Amino acid sequence: MRSFVCCIALILVLGSNASAQWARTPDNTLPRTRDGKPDLAAKTPQARDGKPDLSGVWQSDINFAALPPGVQTVESITGFGAPRYFVDITADMKPNEVPFQPAAAAQFAQRMQRQGKDDPAAHCQPTGVPAIHNLPIPFKIVQTPGLIIVLFEDSSVFRQIFLDPRKPVEDAQPRWMGYSTGKWEGDTLVVDSVGFTEKSWLDRLGHTHSDAMHVTERYRRKDLGHLEIEVTIEDPKTYTRPIQYTQKASLLPEEDLLEYFCTENEKDIEHYR
Amino acid sequence: MRVRSSILLSSFCLILAAMPALAHHAFSAEYDADKPVKLTGAVTKVEWENPHAWFYIDVKDNAGKVENWGFEMGSPNLLTRAGWGRNTLKVGDVVSVEASRAKSGANIANAKVVTLVSTGQKLFTGSSQGQTTR
Repeated sequence: MRSFVCCIALILVLGSNASAQWARTPDNTLPRTRDGKPDLAAKTPQARDGKPDLSGVWQSDINFAALPPGVQTVESITGFGAPRYFVDITADMKPNEVPFQPAAAAQFAQRMQRQGKDDPAAHCQPTGVPAIHNLPIPFKIVQTPGLIIVLFEDSSVFRQIFLDPRKPVEDAQPRWMGYSTGKWEGDTLVVDSVGFTEKSWLDRLGHTHSDAMHVTERYRRKDLGHLEIEVTIEDPKTYTRPIQYTQKASLLPEEDLLEYFCTENEKDIEHYR
Repeated sequence: MRVRSSILLSSFCLILAAMPALAHHAFSAEYDADKPVKLTGAVTKVEWENPHAWFYIDVKDNAGKVENWGFEMGSPNLLTRAGWGRNTLKVGDVVSVEASRAKSGANIANAKVVTLVSTGQKLFTGSSQGQTTR
């Protein structure tokens, strides 16, 4: 077990260490602290249209102080943790509070028993919205007045958030990223997404959802270096009431995305036992 | 639900198993943490590609028979940000590897600590590997 934990510590550290020299480009426009480092507490940047500018390379926070119940021992052994909602979107609830519909409870239990072998990511399929924002892998927001593009290093996929007054397409092809429209409410970007494929998982434990899932994300950039995404998942076919969590992310100043194609050299699937 | 309660609270290892899936897959889907292995040999090949970097070494047993072993690491992206380069490990380097074997019994394992035998340098020391468990 010690060695196993050791391995976990390694991977988490690798995931969290984004300060290496690779792909760093000096940005002279960033406000600096006295010691010359980017001032992550500086005020929120503003776009030309006066809205908060969410643009930047972000990564969800690894907050070992907030691991789900039952895994606190991990941090006491390793000193490291994982993004809370990456592992379990219901981590804020007591175990008996998760509002499963009966069929969803059974499906979740079956996924747990399979120990991740059926996780789409383990088969080189994408991680969908909203879970893809919870990965400890960078994503890049590019904001324009009418369209926000999010580029994800994981699987080199993207999502589009349309800010014009369009409506979702009727009977659209189900998507891993869903179909997203957004609007500003003060300093908060509110994004509504529908049209999801049922294939995607909501976290690594395997929480399920149906094609009726409606995801509402409220994005707020508190300052230069900190982004909060309040997520509400409504899916009456799967859960009897909404599930809500807030994913925090931090700016990776002067970093950029790398390429990641899972099928490039996949060797694991044939060995799953 | 009672189902979740019993699974989540009693199945500590399963949650641990989910953790290393940051890059791609759950550790427990492929490897067995209770099958540690320590092997030494010369590097025959390095694959610096996603979703996982792999390297291979020739291992000689007591009878002189040589077997080739493959070791999985994190994704090149993660390793790169931790200070690795694609030339950090070169063909011909003699390394000692501490790893967890695959459940399948094949000659593959999940590498935890890689030590360059000539210098004693631990190639994972850019991280906290081992610091909290030794």
